[in-house]
Amino acid sequence: MTEALIVRGLDKTFTKPAVMDLDLTVHAGELYALLGPNGAGKTTTLRMVAGLTKPDKGEISVFGIDARADPAAAKAITAWAPDEAMVYDRLTPLEYLEFVAGLWNVEPKAAKARAEDLLAKLGLAAEARTRCEGFSRGMKQKVALAGALIHDPRLLILDEPLTGLDAAAARLVKDMLQERVDAGGTVILTTHILEVAERMADRIGIIAGGRLLAEGTLDALRAQTRKGGAGEGKDGSSLEDVFLQLTAADANGGAA
Amino acid sequence: MTLTAPGSILWLLAHEMRIYWRNFRAGRAGKGARGLISLVVVATMLVGGGVLAALGLHAVEVPINPISISLAALVSAVVFTLMLSQTLSASSEALYDRGDLDLLFSSPIGPAKVLFVRSLGVAGGVLTIFALILTPLLLPSVIWGHPGWIGVFGVLGALALASTAVGLLLAMALFALIGPRRTRTVAQVMAALVGAAFFLVSQTRTILGVQKSNSLFAEITRQAQEGRLHPAPIVGLPLRAMLGEPLPLLALLAGSAALFALAALTLGRRFSDAAAATQGKTGARPAKATRGDARRAFASGPFLATLRKELLLIGRDAALLSQVLLRVLYLIPTALLLSRNAGHGTGAALAGGAGVVAFLAGQVAGSLAWITLSAEEAPDLLAVSPARIRTLRRAKLTAALVPVALLLVLPIAALTWFLPAVGAWTALGAALAAWSSGLINIWHQRPGKRSDFKRRGGASWMATIAEMLVSALVAGATGLAVAGLWPWALIPLGLAGASLLSLRRSDAQIARNLRTR
Repeated sequence: MTEALIVRGLDKTFTKPAVMDLDLTVHAGELYALLGPNGAGKTTTLRMVAGLTKPDKGEISVFGIDARADPAAAKAITAWAPDEAMVYDRLTPLEYLEFVAGLWNVEPKAAKARAEDLLAKLGLAAEARTRCEGFSRGMKQKVALAGALIHDPRLLILDEPLTGLDAAAARLVKDMLQERVDAGGTVILTTHILEVAERMADRIGIIAGGRLLAEGTLDALRAQTRKGGAGEGKDGSSLEDVFLQLTAADANGGAA
Repeated sequence: MTLTAPGSILWLLAHEMRIYWRNFRAGRAGKGARGLISLVVVATMLVGGGVLAALGLHAVEVPINPISISLAALVSAVVFTLMLSQTLSASSEALYDRGDLDLLFSSPIGPAKVLFVRSLGVAGGVLTIFALILTPLLLPSVIWGHPGWIGVFGVLGALALASTAVGLLLAMALFALIGPRRTRTVAQVMAALVGAAFFLVSQTRTILGVQKSNSLFAEITRQAQEGRLHPAPIVGLPLRAMLGEPLPLLALLAGSAALFALAALTLGRRFSDAAAATQGKTGARPAKATRGDARRAFASGPFLATLRKELLLIGRDAALLSQVLLRVLYLIPTALLLSRNAGHGTGAALAGGAGVVAFLAGQVAGSLAWITLSAEEAPDLLAVSPARIRTLRRAKLTAALVPVALLLVLPIAALTWFLPAVGAWTALGAALAAWSSGLINIWHQRPGKRSDFKRRGGASWMATIAEMLVSALVAGATGLAVAGLWPWALIPLGLAGASLLSLRRSDAQIARNLRTR
């Protein structure tokens, strides 16, 4: 199986350790959900993968490219969308997408067609030439998502992509992500909405205190909680139960 | 219900003043010893100036004659225009910058009362600025020999109220004429024009030429000597009020207070409707696609895409445009002086003018380069892209230089038409100064917000000083070259080059510097 992302021994310390000896593997064509309580190190991990934060130690490989040795090559096939949309208030969505496409060197004609298509899919066609300054948080999130997709990345990294979206917009985004995965794309996302991860993710990683506590399909995680004695871990238990058992066990110093 | 009960005008005013004071303190936070030292130096200079003025004016009695009356009226008019430039801008901000307006409008307090207090805040703000400068200068004279001059503060208060009233009326008129979105832009530009009006009037002689204009002071003196100056009694009010005559002072204060009340209360209802109308549409352009927009191809590659994005952002930044416009207005007399001298031959004025053009090109380019390089709104977006940082920097520097080139192309072309060598030296000097300022801003980036542009609050202190120094050296070299002393021009040019070399930073140093912030 091709690996979209391999992370080995990743370390990052700010004033205190944020990520410690983290190993992570994401297969190509899967939707991987990275879950964890606040301050667990999810965003720091993803920022290191996206090339925004320099790790103290460790290896990051994106589709076989050593992201630390050749960041430009890794970035060319990756997209990053943080929870705070990176859009310019004084640009229209179309102008924003033109800029982002330029950064990734997308051929102008193809970029324009793709931008119009993405905005239409995200329900922003009518606002394509309206400056973003009057947009709601959800609309800005959608513009940022279109920006992340404009260069058709092989690896899409999303930090809390559903924050600020209403039910209809959230469904739209989830459908787009699923569509992308079905077409062979790879998506890594963090979310606090565990039902989303439970329903959409092929595999789930649970991180706390900068360490990966568990990784696998929901069934594998259930099995892991049973084996590790972290809790009841029944076959029908929800991801929320599993998550709480694993993180509680870690907080209590138990093995998960 | 007492005067200071919650919801009362005084209570609201106290709230406004507390917020104003905390914002002021927040703005000063982090300036540390440097800020304190500069404050002490300025205060000492002002107090020193005030004491010297008191010593000199101790025995002087200001005569009430047509000359003094006209001059006092003129000074009042100048102060009024300077205040108006502030109140016009502040009034449009009161309408646009929501701040806590949503909270206040959602409370049971009437919107007219909220806006009346906000208008008082605008007047109070502008009065404070002028009073802070004037008090140390004037107070020694008031204490020592001229107690009546305390009336100057009363005149200042009257001017603050009147200028706020006119600022509010203009903002409302703009709102009705051109709608909410453009009001902010036009108000900022108008504020710049009004602010520069005094300077341009004072430069009439430069602009029109010696033969076509006498200075205003000389004209007033000449008319008075010829017995033709008969100011109307109302023109004498400012001088009499400044000298402490109670009735003129009361008349001015009552007149301006009435004008303020008329504007703030009568227009309060419309103003609050206008403010409410801006809710939820903070300047968004209505969705309309022009045919050109729809047909235009996307820019190709990181350089062109970044250049286009930066030029769009510069063009859409009302505050930035008004500040650049202000600097251009200050450039007009110099440019005219230059072209007139170019028509008549060379001279010291021509060399000086060429130097000023080069210096201002450096300063404007430096400010724009700070905006494009350091005030990036989405730095993470650029960081996650595969685009080379050097390509992005080059595009941003180009974006900063394009407006400077556009501003200077016509005057320099005209100059080159008359005197090709002078035109070429001036173009070279302006280009070199602008490029140097851009490079300094690349090497000494300091991330900040676009909104900080007006006071360059986010800019590196070192970059600002270095920009000024290098621009001055290049300006000196330009002036010397224009004067025909080009071998001497090599000295400041060499110093500018040495300064640039000492300021230079490698990519790794720039990155390290940005990371450590």
